[in-house]
Amino acid sequence: MAGLSFDNHQRNQFLSAKGFGSPKATSTGTTIVGVKFEGGVVIAADTRATSGPIVADKNCEKLHRLSPTIWCAGAGTAADTEMVTQLIGSNLELHAMSTERKPRVVTALTMLKQHLFKYQGHIGAYLIVGGVDPTGAHLFSIHAHGSTDIGFYQSLGSGSLAAMAVLESNWKEGLTKEEAMKLCTEAIEAGIWNDLGSGSNVDLCVMEVGKDAQLYRNYLKPNVREAKVKSYKFARGTTAVLKESIYNLVDIEETVVPMEVDTEA
Amino acid sequence: MNGINVDINHLKKGEVNLGTSIMAVKFDGGVILGADSRTTTGAYIANRVTDKLTQVHGTVWCCRSGSAADTQAVADIVKYHLELYEAQHGAPPTTKIAASLFQELCYNNKDALTAGIICAGYDDKEKGAIYSIPIGGSIHKQEYAIAGSGSTFIYGYCNKNFKSNMTRDETVEFIKTSLSQAIKWDGSSGGVIRMVVLTASGVERLVFYPEDYVNA
Amino acid sequence: MSVTSAVSSDYNSGVSNVPIEHQFNPYSDNGGTVLGIAGEDFAILAGDTRHTTGYSINSRYEPKVFSVGDELLITANGFAADGDALVKRFRNQLKWYHFDHKKNLTIKSAARFIQHLLYGKRFFPYYVHTIIAGLDEEGKGAVYSFDPVGSYEREQCRAGGGAASLIMPFLDNQVNFKNQMDPDSNGTAKKELKYLKLDEVISLVRDAFSSATERHINVGDGLEILIVTKDGVRTEYYPLKKD
Repeated sequence: MAGLSFDNHQRNQFLSAKGFGSPKATSTGTTIVGVKFEGGVVIAADTRATSGPIVADKNCEKLHRLSPTIWCAGAGTAADTEMVTQLIGSNLELHAMSTERKPRVVTALTMLKQHLFKYQGHIGAYLIVGGVDPTGAHLFSIHAHGSTDIGFYQSLGSGSLAAMAVLESNWKEGLTKEEAMKLCTEAIEAGIWNDLGSGSNVDLCVMEVGKDAQLYRNYLKPNVREAKVKSYKFARGTTAVLKESIYNLVDIEETVVPMEVDTEA
Repeated sequence: MNGINVDINHLKKGEVNLGTSIMAVKFDGGVILGADSRTTTGAYIANRVTDKLTQVHGTVWCCRSGSAADTQAVADIVKYHLELYEAQHGAPPTTKIAASLFQELCYNNKDALTAGIICAGYDDKEKGAIYSIPIGGSIHKQEYAIAGSGSTFIYGYCNKNFKSNMTRDETVEFIKTSLSQAIKWDGSSGGVIRMVVLTASGVERLVFYPEDYVNA
Repeated sequence: MSVTSAVSSDYNSGVSNVPIEHQFNPYSDNGGTVLGIAGEDFAILAGDTRHTTGYSINSRYEPKVFSVGDELLITANGFAADGDALVKRFRNQLKWYHFDHKKNLTIKSAARFIQHLLYGKRFFPYYVHTIIAGLDEEGKGAVYSFDPVGSYEREQCRAGGGAASLIMPFLDNQVNFKNQMDPDSNGTAKKELKYLKLDEVISLVRDAFSSATERHINVGDGLEILIVTKDGVRTEYYPLKKD
């Protein structure tokens, strides 16, 4: 069967009515941003993934590749951003092969929004799509219900308010690549420090017209863990021995068979 | 929901909303569409420079209000059908055809949609035309139309000040003052005022910044 | 007009039309974590200094462990307003105790009194996990911990608050040597209990909090440790990560 399976829907509704909660999905309570510059676009993300108040992953990847020159930052349900991005990435490549043209950002945007709209918000993917194509550089954002926005700068996720505060105060027209990278980094940092759903490092992706996209994984690492005060190496013998049994699974035998050697030839 | 009592609280949690002020006005040379530029998620302004005036074909446009996702999807579908229409008929579609498509989609899918649309355009047959398609999917041909959460504040003003066959400049001023009041009193509306002028000579876009429209 | 579901099954509980109720919620969670450890001749009570609501940080330095006099340390972690109210009431009553009896309050009596403060609000509880620390009548370190309605117990160590579930197993292992055998016994005899020295305890507390900061979003910014010995109360502060 193609598509998602809803086989367990009724059972799970019954279970949650009886007080058994549904399993918690890892949410990328996130800060993601995107900024356009002269001749390109840069997107960035923090690297914290949470499950409730617990940090599930301290250095996860929220920057996804849709095509070699179109990248996408994801907030919301981690699995949804990952899967929707892979699906549209695949279809985009097939489409590019059949049309014998480089994939375009608007194509990716349309495929993503139509897919998300079809699922009426149940696929919890909030995306910032940026990239370059024969048409130029583009930057969009998509919400889980399928609505899209366009702009010179975008921010999404639980840290989007902190990030947008930085973008609204420091963005100006005609940024250079370096200025755009700096602005993105500062916006993500605002999320890292001031939003509890965001943290750890800054990932960054720069897409320039006529060039390959450059991914800067852990572009900034402002949260390296300090060394522990004490060593917690346990002395040998600390673990309780409850049972000891040794199995001889293989018998090792050595036999020497003398060979007759033909010496006449 | 049982078909009689329609659940009006069904805007799904966290859905992007176009709590809007939109309008369209007929004048002697065609029509002008106008809209504010604010989209919100709860109290947060998700976009302050939104373009709620959407082209569905040449000189046939629409103003969108309600759910951003729903109205974008509907407008995309109408746009697709109108492109196909021109390819098959060798002539551009009329505003009435576009409005009928909107109406059909909004009526047949009323349980799933939160979309209030004003479809307006200029075509050689009807010249300027405005069709209002409110939430249930009914259709109303009007001389001018207002919609969205901010429109409630300007029913009186528009009723008193609208005149048939105004000039282009008079119409721009009428829309500007109307929307400036809608924005002033409606918290869900704001940003810039966008307009699109649709006439025999094509499409013209206008933008008015707050300093241009407050106390206009 | 009744609304019923079209299909009904064992799983289906049926669609119901419940009116939407609005109610004032008097409680909130201000995050943070606290930790108390008793030594042979000292006791410590530590807490992080981050104060939160939801995904927002209200303050990066808001102390929640207090020295209230008579060599007593107290913290009430959870809903900060309730915690402050409880500590305030305790301080006030301690003052009256001095006026009335002209002597120090023992930690044993302090614990029993806090039980009454908490149980006094049995049906509108203080939403807090309370821990007190000090020295007992013999000069030995003492830690008492309480549930929100006053059930309490004297313990060697106790973690409370958001990251208690992360820290408590670590303490069980490192303070009470749970799941540790004597290395010389070749894994057959339990490791013998012994009092930890103050510098060892502080190391444990620092590592516990820096680790909790790594994995719990409500813990961080700063660590304040209050130490009580026969010489009085001392405070140490260590910065924690701010993300």
